[in-house]
Parts: sequence; structure tokens; C-alpha cells
Amino acid sequence: MNSKLRGQTPGDTAMSIAGLGPHGERAVPADQIQFTEADAVVARTRRFSVAVVLHTTTSDWSKQELAGIAATLGLYSAALVEVVDCDFDVELQVAALARLAHEPVDAVISIPIGNSRVAAAHRALTESGRKLVLLDNAPTGMLPGADYVSVVSTDNFGLGQSCAAMLSTHIPRDGAAGILGYGIDFFATHEREIAFRKWMGHHRPDVTLVRERFSELEGAGPAALAMVEKTPGLAGIFAVWDVPAMMALRVLAQNGIDIPLTTVDLGNEVALDMARQGMIKGIGAQLPYDQGSAAARVTLSALLGLPVSPWVALAGLEVTAFNVVEAYQVIWHLPAPRAIIDAMRILVATKGNSD
Amino acid sequence: MAEEKATLRSVGRPRSVDAAPASLALLLNLVRTGAATTRQELERRSELGRAVVADRLATMIELGLLKEGELGQATGGRAPRQMQFRQDAGSLLVSAIDQSSIALGIADLNGQLLVEHHEAAPIEAGPEVILDRLTTIFDWLLKETEKPAPWGIGLALPGPIEKPPTDFETVPVLQTVQSWQGFPFLERLSMRFGVPIFARSGVQTMTMGEAKAGGGRGLSDIIYIKLGRSISAGLISEGRLHRGAQGAAGMIGHSRVGEDLLEAVAGADAIAREGMAAAQDGRSSYLAQTLGRQGELSVVDIGHAAQLGDLFCLELLGLCGRMVGEALAPLTNLVNPALIVVGGVVAESGGDSLLAGIREAVYRQSHPMVSRDLQIVRSQMGASSGLVGAAQVVVEELFAPHTLQGWIGLGSPLRHPDFQKRLERMTASAAAKAAPPAGRVAP
Repeated sequence: MNSKLRGQTPGDTAMSIAGLGPHGERAVPADQIQFTEADAVVARTRRFSVAVVLHTTTSDWSKQELAGIAATLGLYSAALVEVVDCDFDVELQVAALARLAHEPVDAVISIPIGNSRVAAAHRALTESGRKLVLLDNAPTGMLPGADYVSVVSTDNFGLGQSCAAMLSTHIPRDGAAGILGYGIDFFATHEREIAFRKWMGHHRPDVTLVRERFSELEGAGPAALAMVEKTPGLAGIFAVWDVPAMMALRVLAQNGIDIPLTTVDLGNEVALDMARQGMIKGIGAQLPYDQGSAAARVTLSALLGLPVSPWVALAGLEVTAFNVVEAYQVIWHLPAPRAIIDAMRILVATKGNSD
Repeated sequence: MAEEKATLRSVGRPRSVDAAPASLALLLNLVRTGAATTRQELERRSELGRAVVADRLATMIELGLLKEGELGQATGGRAPRQMQFRQDAGSLLVSAIDQSSIALGIADLNGQLLVEHHEAAPIEAGPEVILDRLTTIFDWLLKETEKPAPWGIGLALPGPIEKPPTDFETVPVLQTVQSWQGFPFLERLSMRFGVPIFARSGVQTMTMGEAKAGGGRGLSDIIYIKLGRSISAGLISEGRLHRGAQGAAGMIGHSRVGEDLLEAVAGADAIAREGMAAAQDGRSSYLAQTLGRQGELSVVDIGHAAQLGDLFCLELLGLCGRMVGEALAPLTNLVNPALIVVGGVVAESGGDSLLAGIREAVYRQSHPMVSRDLQIVRSQMGASSGLVGAAQVVVEELFAPHTLQGWIGLGSPLRHPDFQKRLERMTASAAAKAAPPAGRVAP
């Protein structure tokens, strides 16, 4: 899979959608959600109001997701009237949805925090007559049409497969690979891990898989260390997202361990580590700005009464040291930080000398 | 229904030793279905004496099947304590295998889906591959989500499933999939997890799922029709799934449209074929472009083209809808459903023109009283309906009064003597097949 990267732009390396939706739906690619001129005119005249409910507003992912939502809504004269930061708190989310059900908003875009614990509050919002668009996942038991309009999500299954393929090149024959999994019932990380295991089972049946879980982020480092200590010959680790990956990396480095890692999402720290030829060897990245933009278009479609697919998906992007700078621009809509560019310059210079 | 039978069975005081399981089963089902939850209600509904009810409830609390819950409504005096069924005493593994995908989930003992996963998997990959995938994901889900140990498996397969001769007997031969015939799929899955397995056709579980959690919630008479590569229907009449004499009810794809079978002219493959022809001979410029870009066409592309206003696709889907509607109309007149739910990939992609075609034909050919309040809607559950229905199948089987009486005193259906025997037989037969041939094999 990595060999495809050479000579291509990051846009060309976008993967196709491998996973199925929360109810087994076939994905409708996000770029198929477009408006005709007439639809756009109607949307602009109606000046919709939309609120957004997020698990947090402080992460890079959330900031970009919001930027995509705000910019796209703005294009069609829809106002983003409120952004709720739930601070990962189920109760806060339930309260926010209950309040929004009585506020003058036409639609809400929400990322459900706990699986079944927030289902009733989301349902009640739809029952109040507001359109509900979900990000990433639908709580088990909620149905499109009746309970929400659509789920707009990255293809998490594809991300997991991608991370397996990128890690596989670092695992010797009959070697062992580790999974640093999330011990909380969370759809996106489940899908990534199932896909990682499936890819390995299919393409690398010789590889033994081991795993450790963490429920709190602080546990990620010790869990990774335990996995390495318990498994002689462990040749690589897949962490289900970038923050625990970096926590694991620091603890491992403190203990003098150097082991290839792949993970999901191009956070600043993993990007820099990769550019510096550190332990991070590959990333399956989500495109939060594009996801936000798609969620905004889906929301407007629903408000205009246009048919909307129950699952709208975006393919992820494979990132390695080779394309990290360009991928950073595509994913974050920003130039890569100075440190990453400098690290890449050193890398290119060293490669140039050694060639 | 189940409860009604049990009531008849236990009229009068229990006199024999066999009566204890009967009263236990009756009381458990009353609490489980919410028909009676306080001691007073239970005494009245079961016609059992206070001491017997108290004794049986204590037994079931000890067995971990019931627990005391919240205070109920007071009707003078102290508020009664409500009994609750322990839906977390065990779990149910459910799976729906389709032509091109598999769905898996874990449900609680009330049949409520707790977690689900769907992935692409071509059935042509063969039974060994699919079985391996199912066990891998079930193992992982059970461990990952820390759900209680399973009590049963519910399985939906693409095609009719013959009724087994006795309880806990798995279907002798899977007629469903040609290449799977003779493969002990159900036995292997049942043995792997050490739990009983119950199979139905996909369309039957989807019908049950729609009735429990989808558009048919609260309705006792519904028809579900699945429009995919094949076309079949499920019927719930007066609250019960109709399976037919052999278990093969609902094969309406085999009705004739002129000289052809319905599914050969209105199934997903037929629609894709028509679309392909239109792309090639210029009747649809949109499809021609899509074909040029993708190199192939599916019913999803035709649905998308119709959404964008492509006239050929709109007409094609409308025509398919009318053909399906004509096959449904006699059925509608026969059973007088309150609701027809249309599901499957063709329904998901077909949009409003397909639904309009179905409605047109059904309403035109139905008796006015039959069509007066009849609703025809598209399924919103997708493949989840198969999982919810499969869980419902297991719940109905495990808690059917005669089955329940066989295990309730033992606390779990896994200890049911008939199931234990069945498991032993399956294990012995598997061992016999795996063992090397006895005696001299070579001179």
C-alpha cells in the first residue's frame, strides 16, 4: 500500500470506503452531497439556524470540524448560533440537547458521547421537530429517518486496515504485533480494531496479535510497556488514536524501547515524530474539516427536504514521513509547523547524501 | 400468546413435582413481559396462592433470574416492590448473513441490541471463512464489551430454513446456499460457544425486527418485503411470525410476471442489467457517464441517477415498483396488514419512484377496506432489523413455556437436559468425523 504513495499527491492517496454504516448501509461518499443552484438560492433565503454539540471543542479535530461546519453553513447563509462543549460528560450532553429542543434552532449537529446513555436525549431532540445530524456514530437502537437524519463519519474500518498495512511492513515473518486498544464502548475505536485484526488475519496470518487496553489516557503508556515486556519479539504496535500513541511512545522511550507504531489522526506531535524518523511509522488520518463541511451540507439538505442518505462517509488519508508535509496541509488547511518542515529538510538532506 | 398457554397449563393448585417448573415458568414470563410485576398482580394473574408465589419468586431471585426493583404504585397501604427480570443474566449472540455482507451483534435477554457491527463479506467465500469471521468477532465483542456469557445464538441466513423436528435440533441440511450444503455450519457455531442455536431466513428475522423496533412497532399485522438480488416477504399475522409448513413461507420472488420470475425482472441484478443496457444504447446519459467512470453499474447508481432526475431511471424504478406491487396486492387482500415495510438494497436505493410504483399497484388492486388505513413505508432499520429479529427468535424459543419449564429450575437454558444431550451428540459426531479411520487403513 505504501508503494502507491511515491509520486502522488496526498489527494490521490485517499482510500476507498471499506466499512459499512451503523445499520449496514452502503456508504454515500461525502463529495456526492452537492446542491443545485436552485437549492442554494432557497437555502440562502431561508437563513437557517444550526447548533453544534461536541464532546470537546479544544482538540485539533474539533477545531477543524467546527471550521468546516461554520464555513459551509456560512456559504449558504445559515447561522451557527451555538457550539456546546460537553467536556466528555454524558450528563452535560443530555442537558444541552434537552435545552436545545426548546431553543430557536432549526437543526443540531451532534457527536454522541456515550452509546446508549445519550440515545433518549437525541431522540427527544428529533421529536421536538429539529433536524438531527450525527457525527461518527449512532447510539445502538437509534434509527435513521425516525430518530436522526444521517450519520456523517470517517471510514473508521478503512483507517484500521490502513494502519495494519502500514505496520505490517515492519513485522518480520512469524513475528508479533500489538494493539493498544480503548477499553470503553466506543464505535469508532471498535471499528478500527476489528479492521486491523481482519487485515492482519487475512494478509499476515503468520503474525501473532497481542493487546492491552486502557480506559483512561494515563493508562496508555503503562499498557504499552506491559505489552512489550510480556511479549518477547514484539515488532510493532497499533494505537487506536494519536494521543494514546504519543503517551505510549514517551513511556517506551523512557524505558529505552524503540518500536514501530502506527495510529489514527495526524496530530502535531505524531506528525513531528514521524518527520523526525521516530517510532511513528504511519498514520491513517481523518479529514475533520471535510467531515464538518459534509455534515453542514447534509444538515442543509435535510432542512431543504431533499433526500438524504443515512450514512455519509469520508475516506481517510494514509500519511507517512514521505508525504507528511502535504498531508498536513490537506488535513488541517494550514501550513505544516516549522519544526516538521525543518525535520523533513534534514531527512531529505541525509537521504540525498546517502543515495 | 406464550403467556396465554402457560395460564391454561397451570389452572388449579400445583400438585405434582412437575408443577414447580410450570409455576416458575409462568411467573417468570409474567414479570419478563411486564404483564404483572408486583406480588399482588402476580398472584392474581397466575392464580397461584401467596405462599407459592413468594416461594417461587425467592427461588428465582436465588437463581439470578429476577431481582427486586423499584416501588410500584400504592393502592392503599405500603407501595408494593416491583419484581424485575434480570435481562443481564445472560446475553444473546445474533448474526445475519447476507449475500454480500455479515452483521453481528450482542443483545440482552429482552432482545434489546447492545452492540452491533456490519462488514462486507461475500457469501461465495464459503462457510469455513464466514464461520471463522463470526467466531472471531463474537469472541472479540464479548471480551471487549464485557457482556455476560451467551445463552443462545440467533442466526439469519439468506433463504428459507426448514423447521427442525424437535427442540434444540439444528436444521439437518442448509438448503439456503448451494455451496454450503452438507457443511455443519449451525452445529459448529453452536458447539463453539456451547449454546443452542436458532436459525430463520433473513427475511423472517427482518420482519420480526421491523415488528419489534421498526415501523411495525406495536402492530400485530405487517408484511415486510425484501428487495435485493432476490425478492421475498415475511408476514406477521395477529402478532405471530408465519413460517409455513416447511418454514419456507414468503417466496414471492417466484411469482410470475409474464413468462419470467418476479425476481428475474425486478431484483437488484435485473435493474442493474437494464441500467447497463440504457447506458450502452444512449437512453440514459447519466448512466453512460457513470459506467465510463466506474466500469460497472449497480442498483445504487440507478437510484442515485433517479434522485438527480434521470428520466430513464425514474421510469425503470417506477416499473419495478409496480411489478412488486402487483405481486403484493393478492397477499394484501389475503392478510389485511396494517403496514407494508419495504427493505433491502433496492428499496434503500430506489427512492420515492419505487415506493410510488408499489403503492400504485397495491392500492389499485386491493379491496377498499383492506387499503383504507394501509401504510406502505421504506424500512429505516437497514440490516439491523435482521439482528433485532434474530434476538427476538432466541428470546421466543428460550422462553417458550414448554422449553422454559425444562430449564428454569436449573437457572440457565444451557443446563436444559435436551440441550445437554444434543450438545453431547454433536460433539460425539464431530469427534467421529475428525478421528482417523478405525482399523487398518493400508496393507
